[in-house]
Parts: sequence; C-alpha cells; structure tokens
Amino acid sequence: MATLISSVIALFALFGTPLFVVILAAAMLGFYFAEIPLTVIVIEIYRLVDTPLLLALPLFTFAGYLLAESNLSSRLVRLTQVFLGWLPGGLAVVAFITCAFFTAFTGASGVTIVAVGALLYPALVEAGYRDKFSLGLVTTSGSLGLLLAPSLPLILYGVIVQQMNLPNPITIQELFIAGTLPALLMITLLTIYSIWSNRGEVIERGVFTRQDALDALLAAKWEIPLPVIILGGIYSGFFAISEAAAVTAFYVFIIEVIVLKEVKFKELPRVIREAMVMVGGILLILGVSLAFTNYLIDAEIPQQLFDWISYYIKDKLTFLIVLNIVLLALGAILDIFSALVIMIPLIVPVAMRFGIDPVHLGIIFLANMQIGYFTPPIGMNLFIASFRFKRSITELYQATIPFMLVLLIALGIITYVPSVSLFFLDR
Amino acid sequence: MQSVLKWIHTLEDGLLVSALISMLLMAVLQIILRNFFDAGIFWAESFLRILVLWVAMLGAMVATRELTHISIDAFSRYLNPNMKVLVEFVTRAFSAVICFTVAYYAIEFVGYEYEDKTIAFARVPTWLCQSIIPFGFFVMGFRFAIHAITGIASVGKKR
Repeated sequence: MATLISSVIALFALFGTPLFVVILAAAMLGFYFAEIPLTVIVIEIYRLVDTPLLLALPLFTFAGYLLAESNLSSRLVRLTQVFLGWLPGGLAVVAFITCAFFTAFTGASGVTIVAVGALLYPALVEAGYRDKFSLGLVTTSGSLGLLLAPSLPLILYGVIVQQMNLPNPITIQELFIAGTLPALLMITLLTIYSIWSNRGEVIERGVFTRQDALDALLAAKWEIPLPVIILGGIYSGFFAISEAAAVTAFYVFIIEVIVLKEVKFKELPRVIREAMVMVGGILLILGVSLAFTNYLIDAEIPQQLFDWISYYIKDKLTFLIVLNIVLLALGAILDIFSALVIMIPLIVPVAMRFGIDPVHLGIIFLANMQIGYFTPPIGMNLFIASFRFKRSITELYQATIPFMLVLLIALGIITYVPSVSLFFLDR
Repeated sequence: MQSVLKWIHTLEDGLLVSALISMLLMAVLQIILRNFFDAGIFWAESFLRILVLWVAMLGAMVATRELTHISIDAFSRYLNPNMKVLVEFVTRAFSAVICFTVAYYAIEFVGYEYEDKTIAFARVPTWLCQSIIPFGFFVMGFRFAIHAITGIASVGKKR
C-alpha cells in the first residue's frame, strides 16, 4: 500500500507538482504509517526559526538581485579586461573570472548568462574567437562560481548538513574555504583549453595602459571593497555568516540605490519582491524537508540504503564513481535546490560510512550540479542561452560539449583528490 | 471583486517587502550596537528568526499566486494540450489537499502554543508569530484550488 502511494507521489512530482507539496506528501505518508501524529510536520517547519544561519539567505539574495539590476556586470568586465585582457587567452580568462564572481553573488539563477554573458559573447567574437567557442564559453560560465562564497547552494548544503547532527560537524566557513581551490582548478583548466583550442586563430589582445587601469578601478571603486568585506569578514571570524550577509545587503543597497542610483527607489519593491518570492520558495522547501529528513532518520532509511549499497560496492573509489554518475544524471534533471534537499539527507550518511568527509562531499555534490546546469537535454542554462542568443538548443549542445569534458576532468580531480578541497582545512 | 483581490495582493506584496526591510535594518542596527556601543536589543535575535519564517511563508504564498514554485516537471512538456490541462488539474488539486491538511494540523499546533501563552519577543506572543503557518498554508491551498478550477474552466470556454 505504502509503495503504491509513494509511486503515485513520485509520478505527481515528475509531472510538475510543486516540490514542497511532494516532500510534504511523502513526509505525511511516512509519519502516517509510522503512527506518528502529523502535527510533527508543523513542528519541524517551525524549526526554520531555530536556525539563525538562515537569515543569511534572504539578505545575500537581496544583495545579489540588486547587483544584477545595476551596471556592475559592465564595470566588472571592464575591470578584468584591463588587468587580464593582455594575457594570451586573456578575454576568455576575463569571462571565467567575471562570471564566477557574478554567479557566487547571484546564486547561479541563470542571471549570469543574461547579465554578463550577453556582454562577453559579442566581445569574444569581435576579438577573433570562433562563434561556437564563444557561445559554449558563456553558456558554461553561467554556473561557474557555484563553489565560491557566498553562493546560496553552498550555504544551503551547510544548513542541511548541520541539521543532521553528524558526529563531525561542519561549518559554512569551512565550505567557503573548501570551494576556493576547486573553483580555481576549474578556471585554470578552462583557460588552458581556451588557449589550446584557439591556437590557430588570430586573437586580438588588449593593451594594458595605466590610464585605462585607473579609469576602470575608479569606475568600480564602490564594488571593489565588497569581496573584502564578505570574505575578509567571514574568514577572519569578525562577522558571523548572517552578519556578513546583513552588511553586504546594506552596503550594496547604499552604493547601488543611493550613491550610484542605478536602481531607482521606486524599482526597489519590485526587486525585493522578486528576490523574496524566490527565497521564500526555497525556505519553505527547506522547512518541509526538515520534516522529511526527520522521518528518514527515524525510519533508518540511510542505514538501509547503506546496507543495500555496500552489498554491491565495497570500496570508496567505486562508491565515488557511482556517486558522480548518479549526481550528474540528477543535476541534468533536477534543479539544484531540489537536488540538494532530496539527496543530501540520503547521501551524506552513506558517504560518511565510506569514509568521505562531509565538506569534501559538499564540494563534489556542487561540482556535479554545476555541470548539470548545461548537461543535455534539459540543463537550465542551455535554455537560457538559447533564448538569450537566439540559437537552437542543438547548437548549444554542440558548443558546450568540449567545455563539459574539461570540467569533467576537473570534477574527476576534485572527487578523487580530497586535498584539493581540504588543503586549507584542519579535517 | 477584482479591486478587492488587487488590494489583497498589494497588501501581501507590501508585507513581504517590509519583512525584508525590517530584517535588514534590524540586523544592521544590531551589528552597529554591538560593535560601537557594546549594547544590543535583547529580543532582536528572536525577531529576526521569526522574520525568516514570515518571509518563507509570504514568499511561498506569492509564488503560489503566480504558480512559480520550484518543481521537477520532467514529463509535462511531452504531453498534448488536453492531457496537460488534465494533469495540471490533478496536480493542483492534490497540492490544495496537501496544503489544507497541513493548515489543519498547524491550527492544532498554534492552539497548544496559545494555551501556553509564551512570549516570542518583546511583548509579542509566540502563537501570533506562528499563526502565519496555518494562515499561509490555508491561503496556498485555496489558491491551488482556484488555479485547478480556472485551469479546467478556461478549456470549457474555448470549446
């Protein structure tokens, strides 16, 4: 009976029932058959109030939405272009770094392609990069930076894992530190590929002049302190995550709305509303998934899953290979937030039994999801790029494949060499 | 009727926007007080946490109004238009039932808290802060039901 109802719920999910409803239905079913009163679900949702860290989500998202509304993207491109554009493969590096920075702040909602990619794509083609290469580059870069602070999925991973009361707890700070080297590895490999791929082409390179550099620095003078405030504040321990989020949101509000006036006051309610509808949806999913996770742990589902998996898989290496395949497939079907709340409570306990560190696992998880954003057939960024650049979706499949292969190599290194993630950590 | 609805929507949006603004101002004020004056508002922390719950519920209510909830939706793009309407009706009706069920248990939950008469922050009782849960789920259930009916009704008109 329970199996039948579960299958119906799964079918509803695949046909577009909102995710929070699906999770609620699954939790209700579980608690009902375990003869636990359903009030427990409401108690779990109310636990959103017990997690001070969650305050960071709306505040960072608001900051990200404001930055996306401003002209930061063009200032950022100009700044990186002056300082890096003269290098071989310079403009490609500019694209990777700008996109990574932008995505870290806006949480890979596809806005990077629209805001930054749209500026960079014509610039790349004009500089002499092949059309298909340029298209693939901006599409791929739309999710680069997912591993960098203060990306929303990274915080969310930390929040969910913290709720699970693991024997070796993790902090958001550790995740932020762990993400840096893997992100740099991806950017480095992508840059090497870009130079190699365009070795036969005549590529126009930028010229570095002191005046340009000064102008670009002056134009971006208000935004330059931002990474320092966030990263410096968090890594030094001066700010808690939610305090850093409050300071960031307030600072971004002051510069974009009051100083630069790029977001008009009367636009503000619309921007806040859009940001909060998105965050509200995610927070509710998180709330109901707390209830569902509670049920899973009560019913010892992760334990059963481990027993089942360990019957077929004996060693860590094989487990990691299977994990990557499963996550890549999921990343292509599910959006990142659904994947996070559904998979983490199941995967983390199992992975820990195989001796994988939860911080390392988080980086593996998000690296897979990052690739999932442009995995055919339904990676979200493929559709956004197809819409924005008016190209057919099959053209985008072809354009992104080489970049995907490069990132798969990076993923392999990140997965099988834990020290890339854990190098600076005492774990 | 239309203007009443519009008024309700504006009020709802206004509450959502004010929740974020209060959250931002309170959090910044608290940081300033702590670092420069070595002081703080002692109920600020609880107030901020409750605002997170309110943003979650209000944001989700607006998302329900506009049907922009995160969903998996792997198959419905392959359905023919008639099947699609039917599937949408079923999933929305299902969502309505689930939301109403949660609302029912949430009323019970808030009821216990009402009898306990605990204080959440300042002089605001806990049950009042929690009441957004039953209220929000009721509104979402209601909206899913309306979406389910209007979806089917629009097909009837076309024929």
